Amino acid sequence: MTEPLLSVRNLTKHYPIRKGLFNRQVGAARAVDGISFDIAPGETLGLVGESGCGKSTAASSVIRLEEPTSGEVVFNGNGREGATRNPDGTHPNDVTKFDDRELKAFRRGAQMIFQDPSSSFDPRMSVGNAVGELLNIHGMSDRRRRRAIVEDLLERVGLSATDFDRYPHEFSGGQKQRIALARALVLNPDLIIADEPVSALDVSIQAEILSLIEDVQAEFGLSLLFISHDMSVIRQVCDRVAVMYLGEIVEIGPTETVFADPQHPYTEALLSSIPTPDPRASVGGIELKGTVPSPTNPPSGCRFHTRCHRVIQPEGVDVDRDDWRGLLNFRDNVAAGDVDIDQVRENVAAGETDASETEIRAAIRREFDIGETVDDPDLERTLSEAIGHLLDGEIERAETLIADAITTPCAQREPEQTIHAPDHESACLRHEERVSADPNPGDD
Amino acid sequence: MSDTQPLLEVEALTTTFSTDDGTLTAVDGVDFSVDTGETVCIVGESGSGKTVATESITGIIKTPPGHVEGTVRYKGRDLLSLPESELRAIRGTEIAHVFQNPQEAMNHCYTVGWQIVEALQVHRDVSDEAARAKAVDLMDRVGIANASARFDDYPHEFSGGQKQRVMIAMALVGDPDLLIADEPTTALDVTVQAQILRLLDELQDEFDMGILFVTHDLGVVAQIADRIVVMYAGKVMERGGVLDIFDRPGHPYTQKLLACLPEFGGTPGGIPGSLPDPHDPPDGCRFAPRCEFAEEACRTGEQPAEIEVEPGQRVSCVHYGPGGDPSLVRTENFGPTDDESEAGPADD
Repeated sequence: MTEPLLSVRNLTKHYPIRKGLFNRQVGAARAVDGISFDIAPGETLGLVGESGCGKSTAASSVIRLEEPTSGEVVFNGNGREGATRNPDGTHPNDVTKFDDRELKAFRRGAQMIFQDPSSSFDPRMSVGNAVGELLNIHGMSDRRRRRAIVEDLLERVGLSATDFDRYPHEFSGGQKQRIALARALVLNPDLIIADEPVSALDVSIQAEILSLIEDVQAEFGLSLLFISHDMSVIRQVCDRVAVMYLGEIVEIGPTETVFADPQHPYTEALLSSIPTPDPRASVGGIELKGTVPSPTNPPSGCRFHTRCHRVIQPEGVDVDRDDWRGLLNFRDNVAAGDVDIDQVRENVAAGETDASETEIRAAIRREFDIGETVDDPDLERTLSEAIGHLLDGEIERAETLIADAITTPCAQREPEQTIHAPDHESACLRHEERVSADPNPGDD
Repeated sequence: MSDTQPLLEVEALTTTFSTDDGTLTAVDGVDFSVDTGETVCIVGESGSGKTVATESITGIIKTPPGHVEGTVRYKGRDLLSLPESELRAIRGTEIAHVFQNPQEAMNHCYTVGWQIVEALQVHRDVSDEAARAKAVDLMDRVGIANASARFDDYPHEFSGGQKQRVMIAMALVGDPDLLIADEPTTALDVTVQAQILRLLDELQDEFDMGILFVTHDLGVVAQIADRIVVMYAGKVMERGGVLDIFDRPGHPYTQKLLACLPEFGGTPGGIPGSLPDPHDPPDGCRFAPRCEFAEEACRTGEQPAEIEVEPGQRVSCVHYGPGGDPSLVRTENFGPTDDESEAGPADD
């Protein structure tokens, strides 16, 4: 096996939350919580997920714009190939342990492109000087040589050499992103980290920049870590893709495999939310309710279980999938105090007549997409008792009742990585159970 | 199309801006219409005039420097000739806007509930209590959980998707008949976008609204549109039913736009060239400088007149006009390259 250019192991970045007079740490936002991946030379790895899942923090921790809390980032480019581990287990190429001199050298081998091209240039510096500044910092003091290199690069990214003396405001967003790419390339790096490089651009310009990135990658033999929330962009440029949710990688694999056969329910839901440009395709697919939970207090077990449509039912329970999701949502909403029975009553009443109890019960079931009867007599009894408590205004009783009766294994145990193919892994309890219990199950 | 009067009828809409460099024509003689209960999508690259066209309808374009001409008939009344006071009565009640960036559309110094109440009381003489009840009801309708408690929260306590829901609630205060949504999901994640599109669909059924939806995302268009208006450099290139345009796009620009999608082959590099300078648009068809089928006739005179190529589908292209050869540009069997997409029943 060839040596990967970049090898990230258990990388974490926690932001401390401080409070009070003495600024004591009271908790931490676990933005990145133990992610691992490799990037081979010349390969593009995509990092995808909703906003707030830690993609950008992962990128800036890898390149050490921010100090990672723990973990290892081994960078084998830039003339550091073939190093072996020290006797004490540390790696000589571990970026997180680099001193200042090594870090400066590392920055020559790894560069970053940011989302907003307008705010990543100094408006008072000509673009040629902005690109050439890096050469100067890294020791090329010959002004004429710098100019020659930058002019050549500007041409390679589709601008002209005469643009050297122009200023950022004279360029459109797409052109500025081309200049940003030239700036990333000027030190001849082995790795470029691109954080949402096209999401601030128009679709038609997006396509141009993406194909430019691909051309440049082939020409310079670059590895890319490509961060985007846009699945269709990821599909266009990435060889492999890692799907992030709340600071963790839930699935990683070759792009085509992940798109064709997603193994983690989150990947599945993300893919199904992309609007397909086919007017005959049925609207819908899997609806992910709500947004990513707060990373300061992530859900126990599998972090996705609060929104998962395939959340596992405990042993002995076998009800409709949507009913089960609805029951869990009902439980969580009651616990969070988000079920406002007076509001429901008012909505149902619609004017003069008071709402009858059956109507309110039906309205609550509708709200949580629970069918008329749940297919399990025990659960059905619990649900109707809980709604009864709510109607009596005894919210706490309802809460304790369902908290004990409606539980899922997903909340109790953290899933391990399941290997589907040598290069395709996902972390979902469903796969673990399948592997151990049922070698060839039908799809639920 | 039905012979009843459309909800909104826009004819020869032209919006110009006076700038230091001369007059800039952002929208240049645009025609389209929206029926009750129907969703019409305006698509095009940024700079094509989509937003200016929709903002000209209710006169929220700042004049001067802007100047709007043409006719905008809403339920038979010409909005452009109405005095500001009458326009105000329509704007926000009968015609409501939802904008792209909910962060910027809200005042973060006031609670979300207060802002909805304000929108309500501007248009209706309702007591504070009744307004609060109505606002809570609307927040509940647009899917904000525990609305009465969230009423007193500030915008920063809401996520992007929830803020957009609040903006939609605000738009609904006057029970509008026409909702103008300008890229309402562009700033959101795909998962949240799916939620908002679903919500708009439900609300449309509930209120029987016409929706004029501006977007550049053809995936979104395919999902929600009944009819499409394709704009380029201030002109309408093509308009028609969603199925007609996705199956048999007539104008070379529409074809190119669709071909950018990975599902349609994904032309690498997008459409070569860029939008013409709005101060000095080219003669003839605006798209001619970037069009592979352009001939001498495309580069002279005015934008070609619209030709009806199919019932309801109109194309502004020389090749469909007198003396032109449609077979030159018309590709049969335009559609997704891989036949994964099973042809389901049309959902309109």
